Amino acid sequence: MASRAKRQWPFWEIALVVAIFAAGAWSSTLSPYYLSVDQLFSSTRAFIIPGLLALGLAVVVSFGEIDISLASTLAVGTVALSKFSAAGAPLSVAAPIVVLICGVCGVFNGVLVAKWRLPSLAVTLGTMGAFRGLAFIVGSEVGYTDFNDAYSWLGSEYLFGGVVPASLILFAVAAIAVWFLMHRTIYGRRCFSIGLNPDAAWFAGVGVIGVKIAAYALAGAFAGLAAIVWIGQYGSARGDNADGSILFVVTAVVLGGMDINGGRGTISGVALALFLLGTIRNGMGLANIGGPTQTVVLGLLLVGGVLRPAFAAALARLRRPVESADAGA
Amino acid sequence: MLNRREFGMLGAGLAMSGLAPRLAMAKDSGFKIMMTPKWTGFPYFELTGDGAKAAAKDLGDTVIYAGADHADVSLQVETLQNFVTQKPDAIILAAIDLNAVAPVLVDARKKGIVVATYDADAAVPARDFFCNQLSYEQAAKLMLDCALIDVPEGGEIAFIAASPTSPNHMAHIKIMTELSQSDAKYKVFKPVDTQFAADDDAKSYDVAVNLMQAHPNLKVIISSSAVSAPAAARAIEASGHVGKVYATGFALPSAIKRYLENGSQKAFGFWDPFELGYVVAYETHMKLAGKFDPSKVGATIEVPKANATFTAGKDGEVVYGKPLIFTKETVGKYNF
Repeated sequence: MASRAKRQWPFWEIALVVAIFAAGAWSSTLSPYYLSVDQLFSSTRAFIIPGLLALGLAVVVSFGEIDISLASTLAVGTVALSKFSAAGAPLSVAAPIVVLICGVCGVFNGVLVAKWRLPSLAVTLGTMGAFRGLAFIVGSEVGYTDFNDAYSWLGSEYLFGGVVPASLILFAVAAIAVWFLMHRTIYGRRCFSIGLNPDAAWFAGVGVIGVKIAAYALAGAFAGLAAIVWIGQYGSARGDNADGSILFVVTAVVLGGMDINGGRGTISGVALALFLLGTIRNGMGLANIGGPTQTVVLGLLLVGGVLRPAFAAALARLRRPVESADAGA
Repeated sequence: MLNRREFGMLGAGLAMSGLAPRLAMAKDSGFKIMMTPKWTGFPYFELTGDGAKAAAKDLGDTVIYAGADHADVSLQVETLQNFVTQKPDAIILAAIDLNAVAPVLVDARKKGIVVATYDADAAVPARDFFCNQLSYEQAAKLMLDCALIDVPEGGEIAFIAASPTSPNHMAHIKIMTELSQSDAKYKVFKPVDTQFAADDDAKSYDVAVNLMQAHPNLKVIISSSAVSAPAAARAIEASGHVGKVYATGFALPSAIKRYLENGSQKAFGFWDPFELGYVVAYETHMKLAGKFDPSKVGATIEVPKANATFTAGKDGEVVYGKPLIFTKETVGKYNF
């Protein structure tokens, strides 16, 4: 099965690459400001924060669960960072602890979902509110903005002659690491096997509970990482940070070819989907296309992403007779 | 690789050609002004956009009005980033989070772009001036005056704000609370509660219902949110509290017309959003043309269409300050 899957062409990824170039070409006709290296690189900053959340979410979706609390976890991370900054702690101390705190938020989700077998949509809907409330309580009524330069480096610095955002490099490293985890390690294979058939995975000796909790912890930790980028990019820690960004995150994961029921999908697809969404948003934004239109386009892409497996299945049904004829010959 | 370098040079060339006319300056019309509200699609903000476009038409400028369809600060920053890339002469915005928009606006100002805020301010160093619709004090008094029309004998009042981080809502509540303790005119009121509803219609409705249940002697629900105040009026009608509890605060006339006309509510306050948009665009134009310097306290600017002269105050704050009160008799006059 695995070896056969490897020999197949990654049609969806190719389609996404084609779509990215098409969107880029379209954008350059929409706005004369689109096609410049500085602009293209700095525009990627707009989707690095949702991108980090999407990488974590993709791991959770690989076994058929969901986590919509990630944007709230990010807010917990930003207000926690503000507390460390206010106390004068260096970033090297604050960053690991904040990532850990967000990871613990993830573990909390994971225990409720995996150990107590509660539906993940309901659990993370609840924690979405709970974490958001926690962020408001900890962050108090006024936002914190007094971050020193070390805290904002990751989110605001440009490298290589001031062209490439540091956060883009962080995202690339994170994407490659998650790709390796999901497609080159036993852990990743276990995730997908749970997504295909949880009972079979359990009988095969997969520690389903542990695998799931670890994934939620990872997703939470990535939200913590995103919180550090947020501080650099916006310089503002408030309870309402990243509120409402989860639609974009879910869209990227689903459009990237992750089956929302689990078991199928690739991390490269998710990364490509982020670039596609970023390109489209960048182009529409530079052309000053209205917000409602942009949301409609985003929503249509989400529907397209959800319909894709059904479409692929229909295609496969059409092709099957031909394939079996090949096998016979 | 070569391609990329070429693009880079192209980019640098564009940047320089964009900079040249700005250095030459001395233009006094034909400015490119880009404007983004907190979110697009809401009638109030659309009217401010229409007002700004009207000013641009009178003065020979271009106003481009764009933005996301919900109040999300990262989308607003993205919009502003896209604006800066398009090298306008000025940017006008209503800030969602005064600090989060600061880095991109500071960058814009470094590039010589004039930045003006209206409705909700950004951090002071991030903008040239703030066209404030009403000073916080004016707004607080306006809402309490409306409450006095509702219940002249006074009583318990409760507030609905968007969130604990919305600067103007929280400032209004603070001043209203102080006035109810210190000002003889408003001492009849006793603030009992503050709740948050995120400028969301359904949430505001629920919060209003909860307030009426929690405080049986409640007389007036006050909100600076043009979403929450009409929702509270609806909740009062639906829960059978008409005549016992009143809603007031800021609301568009179109949203509260039926409550005023059927007598379930008596008064709401606001200002003319079209004229506010007109004034901020007019002031921006004059700043670009070098005829108005809002950084100087006491600098004045006359806006003929608004029939008024405005004065720059501390920190580049220019108060528009023309409150309106809508009652059963007057609400029919307004078409927004």
